[in-house]
Amino acid sequence: MAVTELHGAPSLGPLYASAAVGAVLPGRATTLPDTELVRRGVTVDPGHFADYARVCGFRVGAALPVTYPHLLTFGLQVVLMAGRSFPLPLPGLVHLANRITVHRAIAPSENLDVRVWAERFTAHPKGARVDLVGEVAASGEPVWEGRSTYLARGASAPGDPGGGSGDGDGGDEVAEPSEPAVPTGPASALWRLPGDLGRRYAAVSGDVNPIHLYPLTAKAMGFPRAIAHGMWTAARAVAALEGRLPDAFTYDVVFRKPLLLPSTAELVTARDDDGGWRVAVRGARDAERIHLVGHAGR
Amino acid sequence: MPASPRRAAVIGGNRIPFARANRAYANATDLDMLTTTLDGLVARFGLAGERLGEVVAGAVLKHSRDFNLTREAVLGSRLAPATAAYDVQQACGTGLQATIAVANKIALGQIESGVAGGVDSASDAPIALNDDLRRVLVKLNAARSTTERLALVGQLRPGQIVPEIPRNAEPRTGLSMGEHAARTALEWGIGRTEQDELAARSHRNLAAAYDRGFFDDLLTPYLGLTRDDNLRPDSSADKLATLKPVFGKGPDATMTAGNSTPLTDGAALVLLGSDEWAAEHRLPVLAHVVDAETAAVDYVHGGGARGADHRHSTDGLLTAGVFAVPRLLERHGLSLQDFDLYEIHEAFASVVQVQRRAWEDARFCRERLGRDGALGAIDDGRLNVAGSSLAAGHPFAATGGRIVATLATLLRERADSEKTDQRGLISICAAGGQGVVAILETKA
Repeated sequence: MAVTELHGAPSLGPLYASAAVGAVLPGRATTLPDTELVRRGVTVDPGHFADYARVCGFRVGAALPVTYPHLLTFGLQVVLMAGRSFPLPLPGLVHLANRITVHRAIAPSENLDVRVWAERFTAHPKGARVDLVGEVAASGEPVWEGRSTYLARGASAPGDPGGGSGDGDGGDEVAEPSEPAVPTGPASALWRLPGDLGRRYAAVSGDVNPIHLYPLTAKAMGFPRAIAHGMWTAARAVAALEGRLPDAFTYDVVFRKPLLLPSTAELVTARDDDGGWRVAVRGARDAERIHLVGHAGR
Repeated sequence: MPASPRRAAVIGGNRIPFARANRAYANATDLDMLTTTLDGLVARFGLAGERLGEVVAGAVLKHSRDFNLTREAVLGSRLAPATAAYDVQQACGTGLQATIAVANKIALGQIESGVAGGVDSASDAPIALNDDLRRVLVKLNAARSTTERLALVGQLRPGQIVPEIPRNAEPRTGLSMGEHAARTALEWGIGRTEQDELAARSHRNLAAAYDRGFFDDLLTPYLGLTRDDNLRPDSSADKLATLKPVFGKGPDATMTAGNSTPLTDGAALVLLGSDEWAAEHRLPVLAHVVDAETAAVDYVHGGGARGADHRHSTDGLLTAGVFAVPRLLERHGLSLQDFDLYEIHEAFASVVQVQRRAWEDARFCRERLGRDGALGAIDDGRLNVAGSSLAAGHPFAATGGRIVATLATLLRERADSEKTDQRGLISICAAGGQGVVAILETKA
C-alpha cells in the first residue's frame, strides 16, 4: 500500500465542496485507493480538546476522551474519501457503525502518529459499504484504533453481492461486529438537544456535512431538519459513563434512525454481567425510535 | 483525643417563617435572610458581642458574589466580628451537614459553641450569563491588545443575550427532582391517597404546633410574615385529591403540587455548644447530637447494584436515607423502633413513603441492606409530629436547621412531660443521590 504523508491538518470545508462537485462528474474509480494516509507528530491543542469536551460532555482531564482521536483520523478519512480515486461519492455517505478500541489512557500532551486507510469495500443490501480504518500510535506503540463503516446508498461494490468479507480490495478478514442488544427500562438521562448542536459539533470536529448544519441545508439532502452527528451522539453517550469504564476498552456503536435537531432524546444504560455497558439513545416521546445502540467494555 | 468524645448539645434554634417563592421575600437576598436569622438567634440567647466557635451555613442557590455568604452574615450580625465562619453545600442536606460539622468540632473539644444552618432564596435565584457570551467576556477581560479585543467583540451575537435559565434538574440525568421522585414512587407502588394523607397531616400538625405556641421560641417574624405562608390549616386529603398530577406521566402519576414541596424562601439556624458552655451561659440544653451518617446511591446508571432479580434497576435519587439509617442503627445497636420521634424530610410525600416502604420490605432489607429481615414500620403518630416541609415549605439549605431545632424542642417537651429519656431520628434526602441522617437524644 502506498503511503502518503500529510503535514498539518487538512481543511475539510473545501474538500467537501470539491467532493460535491466531483460527485456528479464521471470517471470515478471502481476499487478502493491503495493508499494509506499518514500524519506524524500530531499534537492535541488544549483549547480544541476543551471545546470538544464541552460540546460532548467529557471532562477536560488527564486522558483524551475515547472518541477524541477519531477527530484526528476523520480529517484523513475525508481526504481519502473526497479524492477522485475513491470509488464512492463523499456527499450522502451514511455512517452505519463505528468501533473504537483504546489500548491505554492517552495523555493530551503525547505526540501521536495517525494512519488512515480504507478496506472492506463490499456490497450492502442498500448499496455499497466501506470501512475507513484509523490507527493512532505513540512512540511506535498503537494506542487507539477506529473503524468507521459507511454506506453509499444505491452504489455498487465489486464482488459478491451477498456481502461478507473483503474481496481483494486490500481489506483483511474482520469479523462483523454483532449489534449489541438494545437496553430497555427507564432512561438514565434526558437530553435536551438544541437546534445549533450540529453547528457546534461541526465547529470542533470539522465535519461540516450540510445535513448537520441548518434545516435548509439538511432539507436539500433529503432530511426534514438538521440531524445530529453520529459521532457526537456516540461521544455524548460514552461521556455519560464517565468514571465507569477502564482505561482500555472497545466502544462499538451502530447508528439507527437519524436524531433530528432540535429534539429531546433519552439515554439508556445497562450493565452487563461481564462489567461492560450497553447504551442506547432513543426518542424521548417514542421509545421505539432508536438512534444509537452501543457497547463499551473489554 | 478522648476515647469517647463528649456530645454536642442542641441549645436552641431560630428561623424566619418560610415564604413561597416570589411572595413575601421576593426582594430579600440569601444574605438578608441569613443575617436576620442569625441576629434573631443572637437576640434570643443573649449572644451579642460574643465570639462563638464558628458559624457554618450554606445556600444551594447561590450567587458567585456570595462565596463567603456565612462570613458576611456574621460580619453583619451582632456576633463578635472575630467569630469565624465558613460555607458548606450539600444540596438539601446542607443544614443538617452543617450541624454535624459544628457538633463534631464541639465533640472533639476544638470549639465550645457554634451555629449551623442554611438559607435559600428561590426568588432571588442567580441567573447565569449565556455560556457563549460568558466565554467571550472572560477572554475579553484577559485580552491584551485592541486587535484581540475587536476580534472578540466580533464574536458577540444577539442570541447570546438569552441567559441560562436555571433548571431544577440533575446535571447527569436532565430530570427534575420531581420527575426522579415520581419514577421512584411508581417503582415502589406509592399510592396517591397515602401521599395526600401525609401532606394533609403535615399541614394539620404544623398548624397545631403554631396554635399551641410551639414556634414562639424558634421563630423571628420577617417582612410581615409570622407563620409559613404555605401552611393551609384547613387542608384535607379530600381537597388534595382534587389536584392534578404535575410529575410523572399518564394514569399512574400521583405527585401533585399538594403532595410536593413548593419553591420556598427562608433561613434556619441552630445553636450548638458543649454542656459546659451552655451552663456558663445559663442556657438550657434541648438535646444532644448522638451520631450521624451520610449515604449516597447510584441513581444515574445503577446497573447491577441490586440483586440481579430484584424489581428495581437503579436506586431512586432521593433514597439514600434508606441506606444511611441502617448503618447508623447498626453502629449503635438500635432498632428502627427504638425512637420516640422521627423527622423524615418531606421533599415529596412519596419520598417519605418510599423510605418507610423500603424498611418494611423484608426482601429489600435482606438483599440491599444486609439485614436478617425488615427494619419494620414507623408509626404515623411519631412521624413529623410538628409538621414538616410539605406544610412549612422547603428553602433547600434551611430545612436541616428547621428540622434539628424542631426535633430537639419536641424531645425536650416529651422528656419533661413523660420523665423518660427521649430519642429521635432525622432523615433528609438531597440532590445528587445523597441522604443525611442523625440521632438526637434528650435525658429526662
